[in-house]
Amino acid sequence: MRHISTIAARELRSLFVSPVAYVVMSLFSVLAGLFFVLGVAAFNSRVMQLRQFQATDMLATLNLNDHLIGYFFDSMSVVLLFLVPGVTMGLFSSEKSNGTQELLLTSPLTIWDIVLGKFTAGALFVTILVGLVAVFPGILFAYGDPEVGKTASGLLGVLLVCWTYVAIGCFASSITRSQVVGFLITFVLLLFLLLLPAIADLGVAGDAPQLGAALRWLSTGDHFQGLMRGLVDTSDMVYFAVIIGSFLLLTKAAVESVRWR
Amino acid sequence: MIEARDLSKRYGEVVAVDGVSFSVDRGEVVGFLGPNGAGKTTTMRMLTGFLPPTDGSAEIAGHDIFDDALAARRAIGYLPETPPLYPEMTVSSYVTFVARIKDVPRRARAEAVDRALERCALADVRSRVIGTLSKGFRQRVGLAQAIVHSPPVLILDEPTVGLDPIQIGEIRGLIAELAAGEGDDRHTIILSSHILAEVEAICRRVILINEGRKTVDASIDELTRDGKTLEGLFAQETARDTVAADSAAGGGGAS
Ligand SMILES: Nc1ncnc2c1ncn2[C@@H]1O[C@H](COP(=O)(O)OP(=O)(O)O)[C@@H](O)[C@H]1O
Ligand SMILES: [Mg+2]
Repeated sequence: MRHISTIAARELRSLFVSPVAYVVMSLFSVLAGLFFVLGVAAFNSRVMQLRQFQATDMLATLNLNDHLIGYFFDSMSVVLLFLVPGVTMGLFSSEKSNGTQELLLTSPLTIWDIVLGKFTAGALFVTILVGLVAVFPGILFAYGDPEVGKTASGLLGVLLVCWTYVAIGCFASSITRSQVVGFLITFVLLLFLLLLPAIADLGVAGDAPQLGAALRWLSTGDHFQGLMRGLVDTSDMVYFAVIIGSFLLLTKAAVESVRWR
Repeated sequence: MIEARDLSKRYGEVVAVDGVSFSVDRGEVVGFLGPNGAGKTTTMRMLTGFLPPTDGSAEIAGHDIFDDALAARRAIGYLPETPPLYPEMTVSSYVTFVARIKDVPRRARAEAVDRALERCALADVRSRVIGTLSKGFRQRVGLAQAIVHSPPVLILDEPTVGLDPIQIGEIRGLIAELAAGEGDDRHTIILSSHILAEVEAICRRVILINEGRKTVDASIDELTRDGKTLEGLFAQETARDTVAADSAAGGGGAS
């Protein structure tokens, strides 16, 4: 425990003196603001339109959660797919290029201390980003009345998706000594994760419906959408735990593998 | 203090280290001498637990490097061939980080860091960012991280490689001081080098390694007793080696 926090704290401090942290944070703030403003504008024009046509029953079904916050969270999860690889790319690869891997592996640390410490650092950083995401629906609470439960579970969804990105980023970073390669591998893996349902629909699974279902299950999509609808389901929690846990296990194996050669 | 039994390491077909055994007593300063590619780094990496041996075993301060790995690692200060530094950290925050991962208790930590910085003459640059330091200073930071937890055993891999003559003098002086300390400050040291003069200047005992095998293990006094020179011996032992010329040049020319 103590070692994990030592590793995590060092990693966070290094992240915050690197330009990466500031590029990611400022880029993210700008994009989040932009998507939010566009979302609000679209919502307003929808309301105007429905009023004009006096479609009262449709107006009644229109609500901030499903027609604004949901879209916003959705778009944020995609924006973060581009940014999180930048945060995680150096976590393990830079230890190899610095030669500090030799320091860590000859210190009285376990491999799990190293892997969990680095994951914690990445996870804390993206939690800050998700905190920024939370500010925007916060504004809506001041001017409207979104549902607290649904908003909170959606936010939890964004957070869990981001932690999943971090675990995948850890793995990618652990199998290379180049940050750029680390970024690219993470990006490709995350894109693949995002596109899994589409791949399933393309009929790869054609005559094997179980395979299609498995591909869908593996993607973050369905689990994220459940949380977006306000359903905090144990099976979705298990999904995130399994994916994060698996990638951390792979990362541990990759870090350990220097010893196998 | 250090007990190596039949250490061997194979990388696929390449036999990097082949059945090396030796034992080092408390307070000894031993030089691993051998041409490039002889297997010095590989032997040190096995002793420090970075690489598992293909065969054989070793004990550090009574702890088996496999069965009691964490205790063995706690007993070692290790300076790898390239000092393991985080260029974006300041000198003191880096050495403090190392103190933490080496299990220096919280109450003793600040003092341990101050002492390591002082012994390596780094007190004036403690707030400097490591990436802005000269190579000589970076090597000293590497030494400071190796000694911060007062380990009984120090393993230094080519500690002066790539430094200019003045920096080499400083680092050698520093190692001599580390070897001459009292109590907790007194370390058992193994250092590797492909330069004869270096081993002669710092060590009292030399282990010659060539093509993965130990060929000579004796005190320098013994080896040079009947008017023989270490240069002659080194040239003779590595004569069959293709890279001998390169190492002899590093040592200031064979006789
Ligand atoms: N990771 C590795 N993979 C394959 N061969 C290696 C590896 N590391 C070292 N070797 C080989 O092992 C031998 C000993 O290398 P090394 O221990 O670095 O020698 P030294 O430190 O004495 O210069 C060399 O022939 C080297 O090419
Ligand atoms: Mg070497």
